[in-house]
Amino acid sequence: MTLLLSAAPRNIGRRPSLTGGFAALLLAAFFAIAIAGPWLVPFDPAAIGAGMPFEPPSWQHPFGTDNFGRDVFSRVVIGTRQALATGLAATGLAVIVGTALGLWLAHRRGIVDEIVARILDVLISMPPLIMALLAVSVFGSNPALVVLTVAVLFAPRVARVVRAAALTVVTEDYVTAALLRGETTLAIVLRELLPNVAGTVFVEFSIRTGYAIVMIGSLSFLGFGSPPPTPEWGLMINEGYAAVNASFWPVLAPTAAMALLVIAVNLFTDDVSRLIGHSGPVEARR
Amino acid sequence: MTAPLIAVDDLTIDYGRQPAACHRAVDGVSFDIRPGEVLGLAGESGSGKSTVAYALLARRRPGSRIVSGRILFEGEDILPLPERQVRLLRGGRIGFVPQNPATSLTPSMPVGRQIVETIEIHGVARGAAARRLAEDLLARVHLPEPQALARRYPHQLSGGQQQRVLIAMALACRPRLLVLDEPTTGLDVTTQAQILTLLADIRAEFATAMLYVSHDLAALGRLADRIAVMKDGRLVEIGPTASIVGSPRQPYTRVLLAALPDLDRPPAGVTDDAAKRNGGEGKPLLEIDGLVAAYRGEGLSAIWRRPPPTVRDVSFSIRRGETFALIGESGSGKSTIARAILGLTPHRRGGVRFDGRDLPADARRWQGEWRRRIQIVFQNPDASLNPRHSVAAILGRPLERFFGLRGRDRRLRAAELLESVRLDPAFLDRRPDQLSGGQRQRVAIARALAAEPEVLICDEVLSALDVSVQAEILALLRTLQAERHLTYLFISHDLAVVRWFAQSVGVLHRGEFCALGPVEEVFSPPHHPYTARLLAAVPRISAPDDNAGRPAKAWFGGPARASSTV
Repeated sequence: MTLLLSAAPRNIGRRPSLTGGFAALLLAAFFAIAIAGPWLVPFDPAAIGAGMPFEPPSWQHPFGTDNFGRDVFSRVVIGTRQALATGLAATGLAVIVGTALGLWLAHRRGIVDEIVARILDVLISMPPLIMALLAVSVFGSNPALVVLTVAVLFAPRVARVVRAAALTVVTEDYVTAALLRGETTLAIVLRELLPNVAGTVFVEFSIRTGYAIVMIGSLSFLGFGSPPPTPEWGLMINEGYAAVNASFWPVLAPTAAMALLVIAVNLFTDDVSRLIGHSGPVEARR
Repeated sequence: MTAPLIAVDDLTIDYGRQPAACHRAVDGVSFDIRPGEVLGLAGESGSGKSTVAYALLARRRPGSRIVSGRILFEGEDILPLPERQVRLLRGGRIGFVPQNPATSLTPSMPVGRQIVETIEIHGVARGAAARRLAEDLLARVHLPEPQALARRYPHQLSGGQQQRVLIAMALACRPRLLVLDEPTTGLDVTTQAQILTLLADIRAEFATAMLYVSHDLAALGRLADRIAVMKDGRLVEIGPTASIVGSPRQPYTRVLLAALPDLDRPPAGVTDDAAKRNGGEGKPLLEIDGLVAAYRGEGLSAIWRRPPPTVRDVSFSIRRGETFALIGESGSGKSTIARAILGLTPHRRGGVRFDGRDLPADARRWQGEWRRRIQIVFQNPDASLNPRHSVAAILGRPLERFFGLRGRDRRLRAAELLESVRLDPAFLDRRPDQLSGGQRQRVAIARALAAEPEVLICDEVLSALDVSVQAEILALLRTLQAERHLTYLFISHDLAVVRWFAQSVGVLHRGEFCALGPVEEVFSPPHHPYTARLLAAVPRISAPDDNAGRPAKAWFGGPARASSTV
C-alpha cells in the first residue's frame, strides 16, 4: 500500500499557476530595474528643477514631478534598489539567525529549549513597529541600523517557525543514528536537520521579505531611514503627502511600486509553498 | 445460491493521468460477496488490495482513475452515482473500518459524540435516542463502561479500544457490508486476536458481510469464508479458505503461505541447525544489570516531573555470537531497553557492561570505539534514512567517521556493503524514496554494518515489512551473523520469528521480565500465564491433516476466545 502511494506520481496537478508565473515575471522585472536603474532613468533623481513643480504626467515625466520639480519616475526607479536591498538584507539576516537558533533549539531540546522558546514567544508578542520605532529613536537612524533592527525583530519569528518544523525531524531515527555516530551538533544541524526543513526556511524567507519591505517603508515614511533627498519610497510618500492636493502623483507612484512588489512577493511565495507542500487526499470527482 | 450482495466486475484502476506514465494498480478484478459472507483479500504492499477496498466505497484514492468495470451493490452500479448518494451509502449501507485508528478519529471530540454524529448524519436517530444507540454500540463491541467511555477523547484510549470505537461507528447504521482495511495491522498480537474474535461475533449477530483486507493470511484464515489473493493488481486465486490455505493452486499463494512465520515449523531458509543450539560462547559480551529507564518527558513540566519508569529492574546478558530476543506487547518497554543501552534515555539507572567495561548512561559521553562496536537497526526504514541523502552518503558517513575513508575508497567500500546486504551497487546514487521498504531496510542494515560492529541491536526490524520481505531480511540477518560473527539483541513482537531465530529470550510485561531463558524453555510448557497468553494469540495456519475430523470452521487455530477487554 505504501509502495503504491509512493509509486503514484506525487506532483499530480502541481504546476506553477498562472498568477505564480506572473508574480515570478514581475519579481524578475523588479530585480532587473534595481540593477539597471541608473541606466534607465532620464533624470538624476536628486536634480531639482528637472521640470516645473507638480507637473502632471507627460512623455517627459511619466509620473509627473514633485514639489521640487524632481522627476518622480526617476526617483521611483532608483528607489527600487534600496527597497529590495534593505528588505532582502534584513530578511536574510533574520532568516540566517532565526534558522540557526530554531534548529539548535530543536536539536538541544530539554529545559534550555523550553525556556528560550517561551522567551521567543514573549518577544514575538510585542508589536514590531513600535519596537522598531523605539530602537531607532534610541540608536539613531540610518539605513544599516534600520536593516539591523528589522532583522532583530524578525529573527525570533523565523526561529519559532523553523524550530516547530525541525521538532518533527529531530525525533526521526536518522537523527538518532547520527547522534550515536558521535556527530557534532553542527554536523547534525547542517546535514540531518537543515535539508529537511529547507522548504520551510525558503517559504519563511519569502514571506518575511514582503513584511520587511513594508516595515522598512513605514519606518522611512516616519522619518527613520535615509535622509532627504535620497529617493527612498517611504520617504517620498512622506514628502509628497503634505502636497497631495497639488498633485497626487508623487505619493501614488512610490505607493503603487511598493504595493506591486509586496503583492508579487506574496503571490510568488504562495505558489512556491503550494508546489513544495503536501496536498490532502482528493475525494472522488467524476 | 443467493444473489451476491456486491459484485465487482472487471475493475481496472490506473494511477497517474497521462496514459504513458500511468501505473495499473488494479487490472480486471472480478469477485462477489454474498450476504453475510466474509471475503478475505490478501496480498503484499502494492498489490492493489487497498485500492480495491476503496473502490467498494465508491472512493478514489488520490491520483487514481477508474478505467473500466462496474461495482454492483444490491444490483445497482455505485461507481456512476453522484457524490451525495455515495455519501449516504458510505457509512450507511456500507461501513468502513480503516487501518490506522489513531488518525481516523477526530482528536478534539469525545468518541461518543463522534458516533452520535454518524448516527445523526444518516438519520438513524437524533438527540438522546442517538446517544443511547451510541452507548449500545460501544457495549456491543465489548467496551467496558460505555457511558463513561463515550465521554473520553481518542488519545485516552488504547489502540485496540480506538479500533473498537471505529468498528462501533461503522456498525451505527446496520450496514449490509463492512469493508475493513488492515484493521489489526498496527495492533499487537493479543489485541489482534481480540479484534478478530469481536468481528466473528458481529458477523454471527448481525449477519454482516465483510471484505477483510490484510497482508496476513493467518489472520484471514481465522475469519474469512473465502480468500482472494492479489498480486500486481491481478486476482491470482480465489476460493474457500480451506482450499486456499490447505492446498493452494497458485505458486504465489504458496510463497505467501511459506513466508508466514509459524510457531510449529521453521520459516523458509532458516534451518533448525545444531549451531543455533550451542548459542554464544565464552564470557558475556553485553551485560545488563538492574536496568531502570524512562522516556524523556515533554514540555516544561519535564523539568520538575520525571516520567514513571517504563523499564523496571531488568537484568540479562548476551554472549558473543548469540541472539537474544526481547518480546512483549507494544508498550511493554522493549524499545526503551534498546534506547537505554545506547544511552538515549534520561535518568538511566543500573549497569550496562560491554566487553567488561561500563557504558555511560549518556550517549554523548561514549568513546569512539564503543560507538563503532554497538550498532542499531531501527523499526521503520522510512524514518531511519535521511530522505535528502543518497545511499552513498548514508553509507559513506560512518565509513568516514569510523575509518577515515574518503573519496574513491569510501565509495568502493559502500558498494561492497551494498553487496553484502544483497543489493545492486548501482543503488548508491539513489535516494531512499526511490527504494522499496525491503531495500531501505537492507540499506539501514548496511549502514550499521559499515561500522563493523560486534553487537547489532535490531529494534522490530521486520514489523514495517511485508511477510515475504520479512523472510528475506531474516535470512539475511542469519547469513550476516554467520559471516561476521555478530551478536544480536533482537527486539520483536512476533513470537514465531523469535522461536526460530533466537537462542535466548526475555518476555517483557509492563517493563519487567516475566520469563527469561533459552528459547526452548520459555516456549515449552509450563508457561508463565502472560507468555501463554502471547503464545495463544499467535494466529496459526495448520496443515490440512492436522484438522482431520474437525468441523470445517476449524481452519483457524489460535485462542478459543480471548477476553474481550482491551
